[in-house]
Amino acid sequence: MIFKMAWRNLWRHTRRTLITCVTVGFGIWLAVTLSAVGEHSYSTTIDTGARMGAGHVTVQPDGYLDKPSLASRIDGVAALRDKAAALPHVNSASPRITGQAIFTKAGNSRGGMLIAIDPRYESASSSYFVEAMHGPHAEGALFETPDAPQIVLGRTMADYLDASVGKKLVYTTTDKDGDMVAGAGRVGGIFETGVPEIDAGVVLVSIDKAREVLGYGPDEATLIAVTVDDQHAAQEVRDALAPLAPKGASALTWRETMADLVGFIALDRASNQFFQFFLGLLIAAGILNTILMSVLERKREFGIMMAIGMSPWRLFNIVVAESFFIGLVGLALGVVFTTPWAIYLDVHGVDLSSMYGENSTMGGVVMDPIMRFHMTGQLLAGIVGTMFTLTLLAGVYPAIKAGRVPPVESIRMI
Amino acid sequence: MADAIVKLDHVRKVYQQGKIEVVAVDDVTLTIDKGDFAAFCGPSGSGKTTILNMVGMLDSPTAGKVVFEGKDISTLNRTALSRLRKDRIGFIFQAYNLIPVLTAFENAELVLELQGVPAAERRTKVMGLMAEVGLQGMEHRRPDELSGGQQQRVAIARAIASEPALVLADEPTANVDSDTALAILDLMEKLNAERGVTFLFSTHDQKVMERARRIIRLHDGNVVADERR
Repeated sequence: MIFKMAWRNLWRHTRRTLITCVTVGFGIWLAVTLSAVGEHSYSTTIDTGARMGAGHVTVQPDGYLDKPSLASRIDGVAALRDKAAALPHVNSASPRITGQAIFTKAGNSRGGMLIAIDPRYESASSSYFVEAMHGPHAEGALFETPDAPQIVLGRTMADYLDASVGKKLVYTTTDKDGDMVAGAGRVGGIFETGVPEIDAGVVLVSIDKAREVLGYGPDEATLIAVTVDDQHAAQEVRDALAPLAPKGASALTWRETMADLVGFIALDRASNQFFQFFLGLLIAAGILNTILMSVLERKREFGIMMAIGMSPWRLFNIVVAESFFIGLVGLALGVVFTTPWAIYLDVHGVDLSSMYGENSTMGGVVMDPIMRFHMTGQLLAGIVGTMFTLTLLAGVYPAIKAGRVPPVESIRMI
Repeated sequence: MADAIVKLDHVRKVYQQGKIEVVAVDDVTLTIDKGDFAAFCGPSGSGKTTILNMVGMLDSPTAGKVVFEGKDISTLNRTALSRLRKDRIGFIFQAYNLIPVLTAFENAELVLELQGVPAAERRTKVMGLMAEVGLQGMEHRRPDELSGGQQQRVAIARAIASEPALVLADEPTANVDSDTALAILDLMEKLNAERGVTFLFSTHDQKVMERARRIIRLHDGNVVADERR
């Protein structure tokens, strides 16, 4: 009877109840959208960061993260790469040599990041730069063998050095012992990402040529970058790789290698949740207002119910049940509002590049300008649970008030 | 001598209206016996409803005590009072006061559900009551689909559904036409005679007074006459 009465009470003022339920539904829509879009943005940014840097999981020399140097290296990378590539969730495992260098052509010099790669183990899904070489603005091609003499560089650096495809470029750096060394090659390709820091600062060379120049052994590299099919599996892969890492090297996840990005995401997520919590409070205030108004209008009825023997606890439950139904209908409306929107965002997305530019960055990592939807069960449960709890809590004060109605004053028999 | 169901012992009720104290009931002592069909009569402000409220445990006296079936109700907390009202007292209000979202059947059934009576038993009992009060076929109508007299019949069914020891009725015929008033009185008399339900009501209505077997006349909060017929 409690639920029956609560449900019918709600529809005594259909318009008022509907407005309140729509508010709850809108709140769920907004909270889900903010969270899902944020999560998609974080997820793609982490993946892009992994492809721009050292992968979701990295095996690298101890201390390299704090003090990157070409003198730091690990041995036995071929076997380790093969083992890493065979692990579950692993998409790619790529040995790389990375360090700073000065690039020179005909008197023009510019500093930048030298990244030596083995093209056999790299693809657009493992490397942001390789993907850029397949982009519409790229020129030339990526070298195809690990000992290819070609060099690939970003558009801005190429323009600065006046280095077009086919031109010779010299790079100067320090070798494994810290001595100055120089290498050279002809420009094989020029990529353009649109990100100034990358286009002006990244140069790719083949890994065997880099080993020759730097005095590395044939099985040595700075690190092995591992990308995975699900960033949440990074810890599992890291745990599997840790015992395989050579002495003096460690396996790290993206959380350790991209600490700036992790901090930025944590801050952004916290501010998002803070905003959503306040949004929830505002909606709860609206529900409180509706239920309280409805309780005050029914004081007489509550008095009668108490007179005929209904306990204050039962009255409390009737009003809380009304909140529960508002939450339930609001949730259903939230599903109705959110589902088509989620499908649209998932399939088409919303292009925000006109607002934020093609290549805005977060924590130094390129963000996807297309707003899309990424919702996890845990996140959805959190939003629905919070909204439902706030809805129920909004009913508690009016419910207490209903239970305290003095019957004699309400009935006005006097 | 009949058993007492309610005893009022030097009961006084004072209301504060701003800075003025209004004495609604002044030192009333009386006993209502089981099986009584008694009416409080008197002009407006004489204290009829205030006494009914105190007997029904909806209000408490400023001084004196109300004893219901041997229990001093001032010693009971809200929950105990609520339980006692549910199990032992039925109310019929002047303005019917049915729950608007419940049907006639559900209004009468409510107290039984509060008492924890099983659904099948409730159904049988309430359907019987509906027939008894002349509302057969109208069980599923909501109060706004019933006339004033029909609503008052539902209120009577609700009041007696739990088989209370005492039914309190505040001006039960005040809002119905004279034919309906007579029908309601017939019904109350029948329930009193056949089921032994004690009725205590307040009224201005001469017809009601004529039917009562005990008339308690009140004036300015005092009992001025207590006549049995």
